[in-house]
Amino acid sequence: MPKVYNWQIGREMEFPYEGVRPKRQFAMVMDTNKCIACQTCTVACKTTWTPGRGQEYMFWNNVETKPYGGYPLGWDVRILEKLGVRDMTGPVYEGKTIFEAAPDGEIALGYIPEDEDWAFPNVGEDECTGSMEQGALYTMPHMQWMFYLPRICNHCTYASCLGSCPRQSIYKRPEDGIVLLDQHRCRGYRECVKGCPFKKTHFNPITRVSEKCIGCYPAIENGRQTQCTITCIGKIRLQGFISKPDEAREDNPLDYLIFVSKVAKPLYPQFGLEGNVYYIPPIHVPPRYLTQMFGYGVEEAMETYRRATEDKKLLGALLLFGSTPEIIERYEVQNDTAIGYNKDGGELVRVPIREPIHVRAAYDEQYETHRTNIT
Amino acid sequence: MVNNTLPRCELVVYNDWWWTGSCEYSDIVYGVDSWMEFKQPDMTSSNTNPFLQIYPATPIRRAFNTVPDNETYLGVSKELAKITGDRRFEDLWKFIEERKIDVYLQRIIDHSATLKGYRFHYLEQLAREGIPALLNTRTYPRVNGYEQVHESKPWATRTGRLEFYRPEPEFIEAGENLPVHREPSDSTFHDPCVIVAAPHPALRPRQPGDWGFDPEDRAQHPRQMRNIMLSVDELLQSRHYILDQGYDHIFHTPKFRHGSHTTPIDTDYMMVLFGPFGDMYRRDKRMPGTGELYVDMHPEDARVLEINDGDYIWIDGDPAYLPFRGWNDPEKADAYKVARLMARARYYPGTPRGVTRMWFNGYMATPGSVKGHETREDGIAKNPETNYQAMFRYGGHQSLTRTWLKPTHQTATLVYRRLFTHVLGQGFAADVHCVTGAPREAMAKFEKAEHGGIGGVGLWRPVELGLRPTTESEAMKRYLAGEFVNV
Ligand code: SF4
Ligand code: SF4
Repeated sequence: MPKVYNWQIGREMEFPYEGVRPKRQFAMVMDTNKCIACQTCTVACKTTWTPGRGQEYMFWNNVETKPYGGYPLGWDVRILEKLGVRDMTGPVYEGKTIFEAAPDGEIALGYIPEDEDWAFPNVGEDECTGSMEQGALYTMPHMQWMFYLPRICNHCTYASCLGSCPRQSIYKRPEDGIVLLDQHRCRGYRECVKGCPFKKTHFNPITRVSEKCIGCYPAIENGRQTQCTITCIGKIRLQGFISKPDEAREDNPLDYLIFVSKVAKPLYPQFGLEGNVYYIPPIHVPPRYLTQMFGYGVEEAMETYRRATEDKKLLGALLLFGSTPEIIERYEVQNDTAIGYNKDGGELVRVPIREPIHVRAAYDEQYETHRTNIT
Repeated sequence: MVNNTLPRCELVVYNDWWWTGSCEYSDIVYGVDSWMEFKQPDMTSSNTNPFLQIYPATPIRRAFNTVPDNETYLGVSKELAKITGDRRFEDLWKFIEERKIDVYLQRIIDHSATLKGYRFHYLEQLAREGIPALLNTRTYPRVNGYEQVHESKPWATRTGRLEFYRPEPEFIEAGENLPVHREPSDSTFHDPCVIVAAPHPALRPRQPGDWGFDPEDRAQHPRQMRNIMLSVDELLQSRHYILDQGYDHIFHTPKFRHGSHTTPIDTDYMMVLFGPFGDMYRRDKRMPGTGELYVDMHPEDARVLEINDGDYIWIDGDPAYLPFRGWNDPEKADAYKVARLMARARYYPGTPRGVTRMWFNGYMATPGSVKGHETREDGIAKNPETNYQAMFRYGGHQSLTRTWLKPTHQTATLVYRRLFTHVLGQGFAADVHCVTGAPREAMAKFEKAEHGGIGGVGLWRPVELGLRPTTESEAMKRYLAGEFVNV
């Protein structure tokens, strides 16, 4: 197998294809501290892309409560169990990726979920890890905890759905790195369903071929962020493009969050796919669980996030989340305002770093009315 | 309501844009436009939201042959004017007849302290572009009491000060003239609704004897007027009378994030995400729809009752009143079947022992939905005549709850500031000084009805897989502790 460089695990690894990075790479950052699991993103995706026959059970975007939620049931518990206990003590991951742990003759370590595992897409909703004693006080990290994890396809740099497909029906677009599945080529072998550790390809029992999240490519091609991003009530998402690891640009908000301030972490980097959806870890959750999920460096990320007010560039990038439906290609912070620009340098949005405070006159002379704070 | 109140109403007329449980029980339902279909603009605001919500008129086609809701008021009022000869019925809605909603909205703006100065047409234009309008409150963000703290302005009370003593006779009568604690009306393990306070010369509430009823009478109405005073120790030693009859769990029904009021959460996509039991394919044909309501129980409480995570259970409240007065009349057997609550139990470690919760927003079973559930081949709890979709097989969260009408919410003397003005009012005011009537609390008894596995066989699948709280597999335990990595 060829060797490719996966920056998330700090080393080269085996992958069935040569490592050619796309010209640009679709990416998203989600701030788990802000998600309220309203499922607006899920329904926005569902009504846009999967309302058809055979698609009923599919949620290309889903939001699960961690740790008890999982769609399909127990997806991450199962693949972690197969992969075994691994070392995550340093920036270089020495354990095996799912490609390196593949059984003989197979591309990746994986499994096909049972049909019934796709039921209960919101299992575990709001469930925390145990009971609080009467009179107990929360300290950090919380003794009992839960958080919400929204998930889409990670449009992985080293996509194992793509690597696992015997017919090469899955391809990564050179122009934006979105991973697409050609439903005309697909014969429904479900190797991708088996190979994707995140379980983000879905078999359609009516068409008898597979399908997956398309990264809202028609929107992306027109400079707009995905449906799940622009409908997000909590403004927890920022979607755009991530630079190659050695070409990170400080004025790209995604790069700033991922490469510069390092507050955003990949999902299960140990699997070895170099996914392109990044998460700001929830700051109240025990670090060991988060290291298992987001890899090395979560504690530093949490600390940086807690001190975000001390870094205006970081704060500016965070405030651009949910501020515009357009893709922000460049940003800057000027006079306490974060400004986002599009591809052509046009200004998209200005967000004040501090929420402006207004104190109006008690009596408005012009309109002859009192202004009070109680309606 | 359904079994004791509605039968006494000659006619129930309702308007809604979605077929809700209320429509099921109405004689006439007017189908009106949803917010997305407004052909005339509208606006609203709420007392905690800094924004004014404008609904612009839309060119979107109506999904059905509906009318604006205000035209239904106009139509009914016109008929009332004809019958009574009183033109005021009709005149009240003249602006609707003339389609001058915008003029009317402008008038509201002109007479509102926080909106005066805005032009409605301009705001509507902004709304069309998705730009919200802020209320012109004294400060933004709103700091309640800003004027009083920073400028020594008077509060909207009788004295202009913050008042911690209520001199109105109704408050003295109720023993609420000083700040005291009142035990919850029903959901407590102790004597419900009692006043908890140390003796004080100012506290001299009217007692059952003064009203002429037995002090031990804790029925719904007397309970709220018993005004028995206990010390904290006495309260903690008291027991809710119903505990010994087996109704020993507190049952709360708060609102949930996936629906409010009548938002259409009974669609397949919403129901499947409404809690942990959704299945788009309804592999278990007992399910009322693609999802269903459930009660959250502490796992240890459930275990004592031999209820497994995901089982269907019966949930009963005070048999003197619930699910409705007269339920044990053999002639009411059909109504009782519709009203007696059945739902799934979920093991939920986030609730204290003895305290259970069911969300408020579920679409309750109706005679039609029960008929659908029992006669349709697919078992869906959908009324064959109206397509009303219930989220319960039987009953609903309100099978257990009733309204508690607190006397001090109903006085004729309390002073307050009228909404959106600077005028002091007295007595009743909607949303400000009136009964809330939100039924949210009860004491409940649980009893296993059916196994949680498909078709009532075995355990609910996530339990079988070891993925559930307190019944975790070894792998799940390791996962929870983050022990798939060494750090
Ligand atoms: S998340 Fe799964 S489906 Fe998406 S690109 Fe990666 S391997 Fe493929
Ligand atoms: S819309 Fe946003 S806040 Fe709501 S569940 Fe999705 S990601 Fe979370």
